[in-house]
Amino acid sequence: MENAWLIPLFPLLSFLLLLLIGKRMKEASAYVGILMTLASLVFSILVLFERFQEPSYLVKFNWLTIGDMHLTAGFEVNQLNALMLFIVSLVSFLVHTYSKGYMHGDERFHIFYAYLGLFTFAMLGLVISPNILQTYIFWELVGVGSFLLIGFYYYKEEAKAAAKKAFIMTRIGDVGLLIGMILLFWQTKSFEYSEIFKAVEAGSVSNTMITLTAILIFIGAIGKSGQFPLHTWLPDAMEGPTPVSALIHAATMVAAGVYLVAALFPVFSASKTALLTVAVIGGFTAIFAASIGIVQTDIKRVLAYSTVSQLGYMMLALGSAGYVAGVFHLMTHAFFKALLFLAAGSVIHAVHTQNIEEMGGLWKKLKWTAPLFLIGTLAISGVPGLSGFFSKDEILAAAWEGGHPVLFILALIAAFMTAFYMFRLFFMVFTGENRGNQKEVHESPSVMTLPMLVLGILAIVGGYVNTPWFGSFLGDWLVDGNTALGHAHIEGPAWIMFAATIVSLAGILLAYLIYGKRSIAPDWLSGKGGILHTILYNKFYIDEFYQITIVAITKGISYFLRFIDVFIVEGLVKAVTGMVQGLGNIGSKLQSGQVQTYGAVAFLGLAVLVVIYALTGGYLR
Amino acid sequence: MNLQSILSILVFSPLLGIIVLALLPKTQEKAVKAIGILATLPALILSLAVYAHFLAGKNLSDFSISVPWIKFRGINAQEPFFTVSYELAVSGFQLVLVVLTAIVSTLAAIGAAKFIKKEWKGYYMLFLLLLTGMLGVFTAENLILFFIFFEITLIPTFFLIGKWGYFEKEKAAYSFLLYNGLGSAVLLIVIMILFAKTGTSNIEILRQMMADPSGPLKDGFKLGLFIALLIAFGVKLPIFPLHTWMLRVHVQAPPSVVMIHSGILLKIGAYGLIRFGMGIFPKQFESLATLIAILGVINLLYGAFLAFIQTDFKMVLAYSSISHMGIVLIGLAAMNEAGIQGAIFQVVSHGLISALLFFLVGVIYERTETSFIDKLGGLAKGMPLAAGFLLAAAMASLGLPGMSGFVSEFMAFLGLFKVEPWIAAVGTIGIIMTAAYLLRAVLGMTYGKARREFDGGLDLKGAELVPVFVLMLLIVLIGVYPSVLSSPLQATLETILLGLGG
Repeated sequence: MENAWLIPLFPLLSFLLLLLIGKRMKEASAYVGILMTLASLVFSILVLFERFQEPSYLVKFNWLTIGDMHLTAGFEVNQLNALMLFIVSLVSFLVHTYSKGYMHGDERFHIFYAYLGLFTFAMLGLVISPNILQTYIFWELVGVGSFLLIGFYYYKEEAKAAAKKAFIMTRIGDVGLLIGMILLFWQTKSFEYSEIFKAVEAGSVSNTMITLTAILIFIGAIGKSGQFPLHTWLPDAMEGPTPVSALIHAATMVAAGVYLVAALFPVFSASKTALLTVAVIGGFTAIFAASIGIVQTDIKRVLAYSTVSQLGYMMLALGSAGYVAGVFHLMTHAFFKALLFLAAGSVIHAVHTQNIEEMGGLWKKLKWTAPLFLIGTLAISGVPGLSGFFSKDEILAAAWEGGHPVLFILALIAAFMTAFYMFRLFFMVFTGENRGNQKEVHESPSVMTLPMLVLGILAIVGGYVNTPWFGSFLGDWLVDGNTALGHAHIEGPAWIMFAATIVSLAGILLAYLIYGKRSIAPDWLSGKGGILHTILYNKFYIDEFYQITIVAITKGISYFLRFIDVFIVEGLVKAVTGMVQGLGNIGSKLQSGQVQTYGAVAFLGLAVLVVIYALTGGYLR
Repeated sequence: MNLQSILSILVFSPLLGIIVLALLPKTQEKAVKAIGILATLPALILSLAVYAHFLAGKNLSDFSISVPWIKFRGINAQEPFFTVSYELAVSGFQLVLVVLTAIVSTLAAIGAAKFIKKEWKGYYMLFLLLLTGMLGVFTAENLILFFIFFEITLIPTFFLIGKWGYFEKEKAAYSFLLYNGLGSAVLLIVIMILFAKTGTSNIEILRQMMADPSGPLKDGFKLGLFIALLIAFGVKLPIFPLHTWMLRVHVQAPPSVVMIHSGILLKIGAYGLIRFGMGIFPKQFESLATLIAILGVINLLYGAFLAFIQTDFKMVLAYSSISHMGIVLIGLAAMNEAGIQGAIFQVVSHGLISALLFFLVGVIYERTETSFIDKLGGLAKGMPLAAGFLLAAAMASLGLPGMSGFVSEFMAFLGLFKVEPWIAAVGTIGIIMTAAYLLRAVLGMTYGKARREFDGGLDLKGAELVPVFVLMLLIVLIGVYPSVLSSPLQATLETILLGLGG
């Protein structure tokens, strides 16, 4: 674990190398990226296994001195960090490999790998930060990695707009985090997580202050994890290449908000209000995004709204004091959602469209992709036996036991919707007749299918580290007797598991009847509830709402200030210059050439001087 | 070598270049450019040597020099002599600014070889005179000497703008001279009053004298002097509403002059506020701290909102400078270690970043003959390196961690949140707006469909890469390892905070 700091540095090296010599290496750049992330992965696995046996490890050194305050930097390996290291480096390695096939032939191939390296570096740095300032630093850097990759196809106007939107919207959240962090610093005199927890535990921070800072920090998490109302950037971020969506906008960066709340869990759990805020925002986002996902026709956007919804689930878990449930779902979601995105990328690679209306009947043509996509779909829908089932069950139990029956019901409905829209997607893409005009559809090369296979296996078995049947190994390890993190396993009533199963099967059945068997017309929703469909299809008009409020107000202020700048500030200046000119004109009129006037003025001046001389006695003091 | 003479050599070394240039015929373009660039090197090397001396753990006061210079007394023979000495010295804070000046000047000289298209001889002679003025400003230990150097910076700048600028260069040059002339008139009055009342112009002695409550000046009078200083340096910084002159300068002056102007000359305002405003009148500064914090936030937001709707990228950067100087005020108004250190960091950081941005603007203008955002677009295709560095510089400017802008912004806000959390909270809107206007402008220029055909070979190349790499390296260095900048500042900070009463 002493060498854990090397883990982020491999991808950084990859980034720098590829920037400098990538152009000459062409597509061989991929090997640099793959090898470096493989090194990170190997180290991460070693660190994870070491952490099973040994206590946490923390190193810090002085980074910046401000008077007598010493801000430190360093790294820490605790349970959560070790787990995150593993997840991030694994998904990153798989995505690096997959991209070799997916990005083949791209003009800026090496730049893509360089950016991937930068992002991976920042994300790995983020999850081993021992203090919140360092977390913030990497938090911003992952944002830049995401920004660069969303805007990778820089010549597309949509990509440009999406990248800008992602950066600015997450920055709004980041400011909340910044303020919360600074306020917390002046309360506890430290950015170190351990010091902050100590101060909170000792009760030296007032309750109001804890609530305020926790909510401010949560605003940062809202921005990063695409929670309502700062969620609109995430679906737009799908303009980036699909491997990027898998890595950044499904498995790792967007989960950083969840990670942040988990890392600061002792602060959140010290305030009931803060926890409730997290739970409500999470629960609402879960059902809100799921409802939008039902009607979208772009394969990546459906997955994006699904991601938003699932992140809401994790927040709901954390807000219901289900620390283990939140982190557990973060892990399983990373596996199956990355799988779904990579599989979707493979589909797009084959048919060159993202519109599911133009797909169909691909099951036979994509012999690897289709079953793997099905595995991911089953896992996310919460079908018993796969990973998503166990983690979703934990969340539902946490919500129930946390005393939020309303949120519990919302979560249950969201689970139904999830199963429905995911199978809608599956049936529309893989079954029935092909509605597009793709002539030759090829399965992707093995460099793409193999990473999917790995994720597919994990999507099935990943849940067994924490089950009510075989023991809550993950939970015991994560909590390890730390009371601030709550229980290792929340024992909900048995009917919850049945309810969850029934709900997800019902969703699948409905999707099958509409889109598989087609015994219910697909337009029953748009036909019967036309307005509802339009609202959902237009994502509740949130973007339009922001356009006419925040954007318009900002522009309004700007134009108003320009008016001030041009007319009032400059006007005053003009007035002053005008006055000077006027004075000059008067002065020049005095230069009349009449000797009598000059003589009179000179005499007057002399008289004044004499008077002053007489009054002061000859010496000016 | 005698250490005491080093600062004098450092300050006046560019004059040697002027003499050599005077002997060269105008037509020798290459030689003139070479001499112009080479003549900035002695100052650069010496300033780095002084920095190395500091890093080696030795005392910066080794370099202090004080020689009697002018002596006179009033009509009354009983009065003591008024003496003005020739005094140069560097504290850590001054050293940092001297190094910054030397680096940016050398790079601007390289830039000028690219951007200036006529009469190189005159340009470089004025440029080197300007360099001497700037170095003198940051090393002068008494107010009279400071003022002389301060004036020396004005005149070459006036000609550099007026002769080598763009279409409205004369207007820009005159408004530069008028505003700054007024500022320095106010400054001169303050200096003269202080000199007449105390009999000294040495900054250190003045500082101690003003700290003494039984000193020669009453508190109300001191407040008046401080406000006058605030106005004098407020023009330079600039503080809203004294800023309109610098917009014209940013747009009309040649890029190599704006590198200096935005990079260094504006910083004289910040330097003056810190060294004289805060240094000599700490109590008065304290009594107006809230006002200064509000002014800072106004600067920050006013500049940011206006930068958001500009169509000319140079104007975006001009308003951006106003906005970023607001951070200096915010940091200073906090009056604690974090805030003041943040303000000084911002001075250095903005110096580097704006020099880089204007160098890149110069390059882009040279290739495309425009700096209007909507006439550019898709530059990343034809000029990938330039576009990449432009984006990186914008990221630095909007305070991306890992680059210098973040450290300064963070510390300034850290400081202000301790004393004025509400004002600081309003100020954080500026952080969002900065991202919004910079991305709007930079993505507008570099992303999207290419608006024009580019033949190959327009990208950054050859000597152009030197300033870009050096500046970027320094920006990242400060961002990743801020101690490189903060360690020389600690002694200065202690002195200032002592004045503020700890």
